[in-house]
Amino acid sequence: MSGKDIKILELIKVSLGYNKVIYSDINASASSTEMIAVVGANGMGKSTLLRSISGILKYHKGAVNIMGKRIESYSPANLAQQVTFVPSQSPRARDLSLFDMVATGCYNRSNWIGNISKEDRSLILETLVKVGLKGFEKRDSSRLSDGEFQRAAIARSLVQNSQIILLDEPTAFLDIANKIIITNLLKEIAVTEKKTVIFSTHDLMQALKLCDKIWVMGHTRFFEGEPGDLIEKGAFDQMFKDSSLKFDSKLVTFI
Amino acid sequence: MLGSIILPIGDIFNAFTGGDAPRVVSDILFSLRIPKAITALLAGAALSVCGLQMQTLFRNPLADPYILGISSGAGLGVAIFLMGFSAFGITIPSTLFSNIGIAASAWIGAFSVTLLILLVSSRLKDNISLLIFGIMLGSVIGAIISLLQYFSASNDLKIFVMWTMGSFSVLSPIKIWIMFILIVIGFALSVFNIKDLNALLMGEAYAKSLGVNMESTRRRILIATTLLAGSVTAFCGPIGFIGIAVPHIARLVFRNADHKVLLPATAFLGASIMIFADTVAQLPGHSGVIPINTVSALIGVPVILFIILKSRFI
Repeated sequence: MSGKDIKILELIKVSLGYNKVIYSDINASASSTEMIAVVGANGMGKSTLLRSISGILKYHKGAVNIMGKRIESYSPANLAQQVTFVPSQSPRARDLSLFDMVATGCYNRSNWIGNISKEDRSLILETLVKVGLKGFEKRDSSRLSDGEFQRAAIARSLVQNSQIILLDEPTAFLDIANKIIITNLLKEIAVTEKKTVIFSTHDLMQALKLCDKIWVMGHTRFFEGEPGDLIEKGAFDQMFKDSSLKFDSKLVTFI
Repeated sequence: MLGSIILPIGDIFNAFTGGDAPRVVSDILFSLRIPKAITALLAGAALSVCGLQMQTLFRNPLADPYILGISSGAGLGVAIFLMGFSAFGITIPSTLFSNIGIAASAWIGAFSVTLLILLVSSRLKDNISLLIFGIMLGSVIGAIISLLQYFSASNDLKIFVMWTMGSFSVLSPIKIWIMFILIVIGFALSVFNIKDLNALLMGEAYAKSLGVNMESTRRRILIATTLLAGSVTAFCGPIGFIGIAVPHIARLVFRNADHKVLLPATAFLGASIMIFADTVAQLPGHSGVIPINTVSALIGVPVILFIILKSRFI
């Protein structure tokens, strides 16, 4: 199992929504080492899309396939080995140490009462170094800054070791420095750990710069493609209802 | 060990060690005070552990063992037993029968409500919907109980009201054993919930993404909590505030969110606080007894207010 040809994730004519369709006809796919940004106006359903791929929400129609198998055929434990989801703002638990928070990523491997193995213990410490939280393990996770908390959440998803990592607006509440740190970290994870990283964002410029592919939840339809191709196709002009907003391909920004 | 009759410490010691103690002292001790203390310990630990699980499951600091209508279910059972029969002209014969009948009907009522909630819970999207359903169900049951009260004879009404006030008044050894066994099973199930409770600390979406099977987790927590709270309510009546307050005290004291620490801590604190509340309720040296719910409210409410005002609330 190597190379870019294996469809790790495939969406076929997916309609989002539980009782009422909120977005329809999504066709997309993802492979390993790929970093994909999901962009679109507020309320288009970026979050719903990510939650549907992660199995947290049911979708209306179509098929979400992971490793060639329907997402519905996975048990919660098996699905967690393939996909993990980092919510945009998890509620914080008071007096939960950073180490214990990251250790929840070992849920599938820990014993009946939740004790983790020695190997997992050292894996967690290594991962904390990777995300730049070395020496933070005893800190109260609820008192971390937003940037630190997001890094801890990413560390948790790495410890869980699923192939696909989905993140809902991982940079939404961060300052510019942390935005860049987190996005670079995600890129590094995709490349060095051979993961599939899919995240929603409003920062189109950064997405264009760093991502291999972009999923545009446009006002009229869904686009999938490499940044350059999407600009040529005029996909970003479709992003907002307001047709006076045009994407300038030379300036690479909205005018 | 305090009650309307003050027993000399020396006599108590002798009674325990098999030494020479007045007959009346060992009688009061072994057939009244110790069974009562055991009941209070069990009830305090059970309600507190139940409250802890509810608070984590619903991510709601004000959740308590009764939030899903367990106590109203038990109340409905007792109300039907005490007042429903008399409404149809059937009188309950002996007091012995009515005592066991009250416990059994409370238990059946509590479990029926849980069963209903379990049936509904698989159709509900999330824990908050479940919470709302539970509260609504509680209100409906409350209304039915009021209706029964309206049509019932004053004597039955009095027994019902007494039951709602809560009491550890002496249970027969057989009842204590039944309660003990049910609560031990409830505790054992709760210990197996620890791992999932920790995974739930950061919310439901997060837990699902870790691989938690929410449906089975919810079911297991509901069954454990009903065993605990339902059994206490059946034998002692609905005892309030302990279930809300004690988990918060445990969090404040131990400063650890890990349920491996919190669960035993909560059980221990709950048992101790309940013994204390029961001792106060006895009015040592006096012949009267205050309803336990009065004492638990007097202890519980200031704790809850203190926590709301003083600390960063989750």
